[in-house]
Amino acid sequence: MTEFLAATIRIATPLVFTALGGILSERAGVFAVGLEGMMLAGAFAGVITAFLSGSMLAGIAASVLGGAAMAALAAVATTRFRAEQMVTGLAVNILAVGLTSFLLRGLLGHGEAPTIRVSPLAAMPVPGLASLPVLGPVLFSQPVLTYVALAAAVAIYVFLVRTRPGLTLRAVGENPAAAFAGGADPLRVRMLAVTCGGALAGVGGAVLSLQQVGTFTDAMTNGRGYLALAAIIVGRWMPFGTLLACLLFGAADALQLRVQGLRLPVSSYVIQMTPYVVSLAMLAGFGRTAQLPAAIGTAFARDRPSS
Amino acid sequence: MLRMLGITKSYGSVRANRGIDLVVPPRTILGLLGENGSGKTTLMNVLFGLVRPDAGTITFKERPLADHTPREALAAGIGMIHQHFMLVPAMTVTENVMLGWDAAGRWLRPAAVAEHIRTASHRYGLDLEPDARVGALPLGGQQRVEIVKAILRGAELLILDEPTSNLSPPEVSGLLDVLRRLRDEGRSVIFISHKLGEVLAVCDEVVVLRDGAVAGRARAADTDRAKLARMMVDRDVSAPIAREEGAAGAERLVVADLVASDATGVERLGGVSFSVRSGEVLAVAGVDGNGQAELVDVIAGLRRPTRGHVFVDGADVTARGVTGRRQAGLAHIPADRHTTGLVGDMTVSENLAFRDCDGPPFRRGPWLDFGAMRVAATERIARFGIRAGGPDVAARTLSGGNQQKLVLARELTRRPGVLVAAQPTRGLDPGATRFVIDEVLAVRASGGAVLYVSTELEEALVVADRIAVMYRGRFAGVMRRDAVDITRLGLMMAGALSESPDAAALYGRKAR
Amino acid sequence: MPPASQRVDLAAVRALAPPLLAVLLAFGVTGILIVAAGKNPLLAYWSLAHGAFGSWDRIAVGLNRATPYALTGVGIALCFRARVINIGGEGQLALGGLAATWVALHMVPAPRPIATLCALGGGVLAGAAWAGLAAGIRLKRGVHEVLATLLLNFVGLLIVSEVLQGDLGEPGSGFPQSPLLPAASWLGRLVRGTDLHVGVLIALAAVAVGHVALWRTPFGFRLRILGASAPAAAYAGISPARALMSVMLLSGGLAGLAGAIEVLGVHYRLIDGFAHGFGFNAVAIALLGGLNPLAVLPAGLFFGFLETGAVAMQRAVGVPTPLVAVIQGLTMVFVLSAMGLTAGRRRV
Repeated sequence: MTEFLAATIRIATPLVFTALGGILSERAGVFAVGLEGMMLAGAFAGVITAFLSGSMLAGIAASVLGGAAMAALAAVATTRFRAEQMVTGLAVNILAVGLTSFLLRGLLGHGEAPTIRVSPLAAMPVPGLASLPVLGPVLFSQPVLTYVALAAAVAIYVFLVRTRPGLTLRAVGENPAAAFAGGADPLRVRMLAVTCGGALAGVGGAVLSLQQVGTFTDAMTNGRGYLALAAIIVGRWMPFGTLLACLLFGAADALQLRVQGLRLPVSSYVIQMTPYVVSLAMLAGFGRTAQLPAAIGTAFARDRPSS
Repeated sequence: MLRMLGITKSYGSVRANRGIDLVVPPRTILGLLGENGSGKTTLMNVLFGLVRPDAGTITFKERPLADHTPREALAAGIGMIHQHFMLVPAMTVTENVMLGWDAAGRWLRPAAVAEHIRTASHRYGLDLEPDARVGALPLGGQQRVEIVKAILRGAELLILDEPTSNLSPPEVSGLLDVLRRLRDEGRSVIFISHKLGEVLAVCDEVVVLRDGAVAGRARAADTDRAKLARMMVDRDVSAPIAREEGAAGAERLVVADLVASDATGVERLGGVSFSVRSGEVLAVAGVDGNGQAELVDVIAGLRRPTRGHVFVDGADVTARGVTGRRQAGLAHIPADRHTTGLVGDMTVSENLAFRDCDGPPFRRGPWLDFGAMRVAATERIARFGIRAGGPDVAARTLSGGNQQKLVLARELTRRPGVLVAAQPTRGLDPGATRFVIDEVLAVRASGGAVLYVSTELEEALVVADRIAVMYRGRFAGVMRRDAVDITRLGLMMAGALSESPDAAALYGRKAR
Repeated sequence: MPPASQRVDLAAVRALAPPLLAVLLAFGVTGILIVAAGKNPLLAYWSLAHGAFGSWDRIAVGLNRATPYALTGVGIALCFRARVINIGGEGQLALGGLAATWVALHMVPAPRPIATLCALGGGVLAGAAWAGLAAGIRLKRGVHEVLATLLLNFVGLLIVSEVLQGDLGEPGSGFPQSPLLPAASWLGRLVRGTDLHVGVLIALAAVAVGHVALWRTPFGFRLRILGASAPAAAYAGISPARALMSVMLLSGGLAGLAGAIEVLGVHYRLIDGFAHGFGFNAVAIALLGGLNPLAVLPAGLFFGFLETGAVAMQRAVGVPTPLVAVIQGLTMVFVLSAMGLTAGRRRV
């Protein structure tokens, strides 16, 4: 059981980062369909940099930049060029898969897929707390990025609820005209939100490549970006709710990996379906009064007062 | 406190403000009265920095105000409460107040701001709960949030633009109380309205605008409704266009007890009944926002009424939708030709056909008959004198007047039994306006019944056989054209005549 | 003043310019990447073209690959025309393949054309039903169709995986796939000796029908009006709900048909993951074609041949195949940006 819980948290960590990044984007009014690509870009940038430089820290920094770069592309296209948000996100995902696999082979493997090996981040037990009976191994013997993920959830919450920039961001996602009347620049806010969201998703990717496996494989995110979207929906676009949703999905994933051993009557595929079905049910359950940011998906056209 | 001198502003050929002087002393509530197009909104936009005047000066608290932005106006102490609130419904009152308010700091202190809100709320009788979600507040409550925002930012002059259009009677008296307390605490208020009763109830001074200039000033205590109404609408009734006078025939459009709400659920039509006969034009006058849009939408089939019926030539079309009404012979010229009446990116011939694409002549079997569409378009371009490059140019390349001719061509070619025209001459030059009026009168001459909704009183007087005035979702009264009393009309438009003891029944209320 | 027919063609040509420019720009940027990888871009592109068009065999594979793209792309283009966003094509396609497999396996004694037609029909129905489900959720519960189609997309794919583990699976094959389908249900070859199957004709027919429907029927007219202006559509008596449901059913049916064709014409069985990439790429193709069914054909061909040529490119020049995804992704981003900029000037 302890092992199962520890696995849950381990599996949930990349989701948490990515979903938090998605919250920033969606709360500002931009559908975060491109999370998958941003996560992948971060995973790639992170592990490559760590491999080439030998420094994990450099790798993590690179993953931030990688995710942010992908996001910046989407951000500019959707705000400056008014490209359709959803589909641009899809484009970014397609692009990221191709780009990362291509660069992996082209830059490093001379055309072939190289094997990159980095020793994954080790678990960092918290002195004292790690020896607690259940919570010890589950919560306090995780690698460093897991602790950072939990801290990030708190930070994002504080940012959104307790700071002026966070308030402005939320206003842009609900009613950009009101935010504009209050002196904000909705386009600029959205661009920043999407890019920072991408940076977070990039760290989520780094968790995969640096913390979990220590290598990069083609399209290794494998749909986690979309799962993060579902987590945001189930978490009602709030950091702590999303954290719980990620844990839930992590548990589902941990469960489906163990289904053979546990001899459950349910197939692993059905378990894998539950996150999506649950999100859909939640959306449908609330219908038109769903909690999603009111202005999500809409473009903001600035009416200049005549001068 | 405020001195505006010689404010002049034109938009192209339209002279919105013609040398207006406005003085607002401290501790005063000044009412700014006028119909649509009188220049009130432009004047206030100039004051608030949304628009730059062509000429004139503004002095506020002894300091000049020129070339300023709304932020600077706010900083100087001028607060504007718009008709359409700039609030975020999903957030609380506190959060909405903190939005865009730099003084609240980087790290938000909602508790402190909430305290400020409570203090101000208590002082001015605003009755606001800081943790309430703005979306859950009634419209009057949301308005008070806007007011508290202005107060907390230090506004000493508050401009309220048609503040009571969305309020119920108790909310109206609540608002007037708040304004009185604001004045007593040393602030001044500019109260823009077309409603005489309210203006006389709360204002100290009144300025009446008409056609972009000041038509009169008075102290509220020294004037009465009749005088103000006269100032608002006084004009020469221009020589009517020669038309056939004949007894009107059978009733073609009958409307019975229509009740309808707008998109947010607020009731806008409070029980309207009338009929229009063959060979007759019934004009509906009144200031925008008194239910005309909803009335037109319901009759034309674009909105479902909560109650009531619409009959065209005896048939009940209430539930039949747009297509059913069209088949019954009802034509509709919508108020907004750009987004509703025409599809700008489609060609002229497509626009002429897009309401009738499901049967002959534009549909042959499963196909659209483009040949027939083009032939019809060419014929109509010629008959209506539409200046267009041909049937295949995009509609948005036409001028406003020609676009409206296009709409008319589509609606009138079928010889409608009933024509509903909403603001048909809006944005048109005199030549195009004349054309539209002639066509409307032609429908009348051929036996059709016309419902002509317009905020332009002159036009209504020229075209109508009878004029009705809409106020607060009801007909305040109906007059025959040859018995028109301008003062009475003005009073009806300003709500002065319809305020009877059971006025509560007339006002908008949330229909849930 | 040139006659009307000429003017319309000019508009069509001008409409092609942004996608073409986007493609060229994408090739250019990718060329830079190739240089960064130490290879010669011109050589790479030459071998890409050669790999795509070099032999009849290669062309056949390319056409086969383009078929599901074109089919799904037409449906999505029609959706976009009515401002409906359907990104669940992959799931609809997969379920279409699933239905076709089931029908084929259960209609064993049926003769040649009947088995195939029934299987194809099953695919259409399954895809349409899945898209209809998303449309229903949208209409009844107000859930944005993007979220509904996206979430159902993954559920659909997982359903296929699940079924392959159970009833339809081939035990002992070591890989999630169905048993080989009876030969009576296979799609016939168009050109003997090559892999080219009849599906390409179906795709051509769908493109033609889509074009005609959009530009020459009242149904298409209503879609275009709805996409241009919602108030004008209401004024014209068009029901947005009915239009949404029709166009979703149509596009779901086309995606399902594409899935059935893949199963019956290429693999001859249901293989887990066979739908991979089709759904999202079809969105790209619809956009690349400027939301015009006719132009979806060259766009689909572009994607199809791009992918077939990639393998040859890797073998000849050593440029990795994922480059193709880079070109596809970049093309999409550029086309979307161009569309965003020119939003007011498109032929409606």
